[in-house]
Amino acid sequence: MTVQPGEIHGLVGQNGSGKTTLVKLLSGYHAPDSGGEVQVDGAPVGLPVRPAELHRLGMSVVHQDLGLLDDFTVVENVRIGAFRRRRLTRSIRWDGERQLAREALQHLGHEIDPNARVRDLLPADRATVAIARALQHHHPGRGVIMFDESSRALPRDSLEHFHALIREVAGRGGSVLLVSHQLEEVLSVADRVTVLRDGIVVASGTPTSELDEHELIRLMLGYELDSRAPARAAVTRDGREPAARARGVCGRLVDGVTLEIGSSEIVGVTGLMGSGFEELPYLLGGAHPAQAGELTVGGRRIDLATACPRDLVDAGVALVPERRDAQGLSLSMSLLENVTLPRVRVHGSPGRLGFGWQREEADWVIRELGVRPPAPGMTVGNLSGGNQQKVMLGKWLRGDPRLLVLHEPTRAVDVAARRDLMSVIFRVATSGSGVLVAGMDANELQSMCDRVLIMRDGRIEEELRGAAVTVEGVVNAVYRNHSNGHAAVREGVA
Amino acid sequence: MAGLLRRGAERYALIGVWGLMIAFYWAIEPADFGTSGTFKTIFGSQAALVFLSMALLCTIIVGEFVDLSVAAILGLCATIVPVLSVLHGMNVTLASIIAVAVGTSAGAINGILVVGVGVNIIVVTLGMSTLLLGIALAVSHLHIVSGLSDSYSKIALADVFGLPITFYYGIAIALVFAYVLGFTPLGRHMRFVGSNREVSRLAGIRVNRIRFGAFVMSGFLCGVGGVVIAAGLGGFDPSSSVTYLLPTFSAVFLGTAVVQPGRFNPIGTLAGVYFLATGILGLQELGYAGWISDVFYGAALIIAVTLSTVVRRVAAA
Repeated sequence: MTVQPGEIHGLVGQNGSGKTTLVKLLSGYHAPDSGGEVQVDGAPVGLPVRPAELHRLGMSVVHQDLGLLDDFTVVENVRIGAFRRRRLTRSIRWDGERQLAREALQHLGHEIDPNARVRDLLPADRATVAIARALQHHHPGRGVIMFDESSRALPRDSLEHFHALIREVAGRGGSVLLVSHQLEEVLSVADRVTVLRDGIVVASGTPTSELDEHELIRLMLGYELDSRAPARAAVTRDGREPAARARGVCGRLVDGVTLEIGSSEIVGVTGLMGSGFEELPYLLGGAHPAQAGELTVGGRRIDLATACPRDLVDAGVALVPERRDAQGLSLSMSLLENVTLPRVRVHGSPGRLGFGWQREEADWVIRELGVRPPAPGMTVGNLSGGNQQKVMLGKWLRGDPRLLVLHEPTRAVDVAARRDLMSVIFRVATSGSGVLVAGMDANELQSMCDRVLIMRDGRIEEELRGAAVTVEGVVNAVYRNHSNGHAAVREGVA
Repeated sequence: MAGLLRRGAERYALIGVWGLMIAFYWAIEPADFGTSGTFKTIFGSQAALVFLSMALLCTIIVGEFVDLSVAAILGLCATIVPVLSVLHGMNVTLASIIAVAVGTSAGAINGILVVGVGVNIIVVTLGMSTLLLGIALAVSHLHIVSGLSDSYSKIALADVFGLPITFYYGIAIALVFAYVLGFTPLGRHMRFVGSNREVSRLAGIRVNRIRFGAFVMSGFLCGVGGVVIAAGLGGFDPSSSVTYLLPTFSAVFLGTAVVQPGRFNPIGTLAGVYFLATGILGLQELGYAGWISDVFYGAALIIAVTLSTVVRRVAAA
């Protein structure tokens, strides 16, 4: 891809398409595989990129999480890596540093006390500090500044100013790479757009004047919508008790979610990153303590603010987390040991584990989910990603959960494994369990879910059901701007 | 069959090296090394190390890697018994019970600080180690207190098939430990807590209870070990406890190369203890003395931990 001088270049793509990875390669955080080439202002850049070289080239990055040190002051955060020192004592010239930081901030139109601690700043001011740090090394007319979802942390009223600022940078001949999920923002601010899908450029430098949101979404998703989802047996749910009810769930992002999952129903929940959909599974599974909320499963009412995972496991809630290595499986233990873990304390007596049932469960998981190689004693870390995912799912499915909570269950899994996983999830649903699927992948939600809930700012804002659950429907609802969102029809969501 | 052989070779390589070491010493020092006395020394004199390495294993298995206080806890308990019964005229059985209670409490305090409060384990156990050593020196007035009765020494020295009964204590503890780890829900939970705390917590395991329990059990084993050592020696030199720390770690890490490669395990640890005992005794009979134990145990620790790291990587690949 090429970013022209004096241009604002948008970079879009679904989660996991490689936007952030690309930015991290360009900023020297990751070392690239050999064979690539990067040029800035016509001069080749040595790979892997050395951070020290970035300043000289006029390349700088504002990362997704802003990359600020909370316990340090504004001036320290802005000037880190570039402190000017006295010649003799090598000590930092703080007066000059404060002045430079103040100038950098004023350039952005903000008065922020350089001595304030970053921890105490408002979110908008934090973003300003990060952007000021990136802009201070900018030589007008040269270099590239990359913004990785930086505008997300800015409130609406500062957004205008931010956009004016990057237009000014571009107007003086510098280049801006704008990574954003806000397609509307990209279309209105950027001159041209590059679209990534699965790590590959599918549209390179298309002028935004030739695009609309719909076209951009089509490019992001690709043509081949996965319509080959496995068959699912029809079930009548009339008159059956719902599998689970959650009421008033609040967490760090989630802000008062109430929902009901019917017996044999598969409910999807999605939204933009930060909307709370990614936190909900962990609140319902007891992995993160909720600030408030209760969950009713199998006739038991559980207070999510005080519950520990054990209470939820015992009530029949199974959480299949996204982060397999950190939360899902113990990679140094065997397949059999991982699969049986949640039921070790239920089976047999405290004095005896018993091996027959363990072997039987491991064989069941291998058979039902098609784990390859079929070796119960194999260390899980040696299995492929897709097979690890199957083991993680199998570990919880074998306990016949009343409520199965999944987070990105088929991410980074190949097509065949995805089908295997889906058909097992369908079978669980058919047997009467409720299933909640949290994820970003519209394809996956469309092919699995009876209903899809769209979250925004911690609340459920929209519900798609039945024929409305389509890839376009889900993506449109997720990317719909707040202003449009309020005009949307909301059905039966408390 | 080839695979079985290969796995056998991996699992029991340390036993092979042990055999080679015995053969080597035997060849060059047949008069000294090839005697039943040597055999008795190797297998009969390692009680302290066996108890300590089993205590260390408790916490290491649940993922607490460096409990530096085990040797000092054992030392304090071994000092308390003769101090109470010889200096203060207390009934020796009561003194022993108090010693075990002190050891268990020390483990519990470690557990409260590390698990409950979340203090770094190195800081807690290093401080605890020095603190308890100081207390042991204080209660014994900086002297070796001895004079425990011969009848009491029976609990450590009673002869069973030519070896002191402490040898069988060690075997029994290792076997029970191995059973708990391999065949009970508690053991499986301990393994998972040591392997991945978050995965364990989400599976409904009470992670902190298990971690705390491991510290208490570790303290209890140190206490019992201290009583047995004091009984065997008739007294205890409090300042000698620190010399046990390094070989304890060496034995536990050597154990990961045997029986269950890549995993800390009690039977392997026991093999590690006797492996080290053989090595040091052979060197001493070759005429090296004094400084050799420092050199040997220091080198053994480095080699054992390196070996453990490599074996774990190979076992995982």
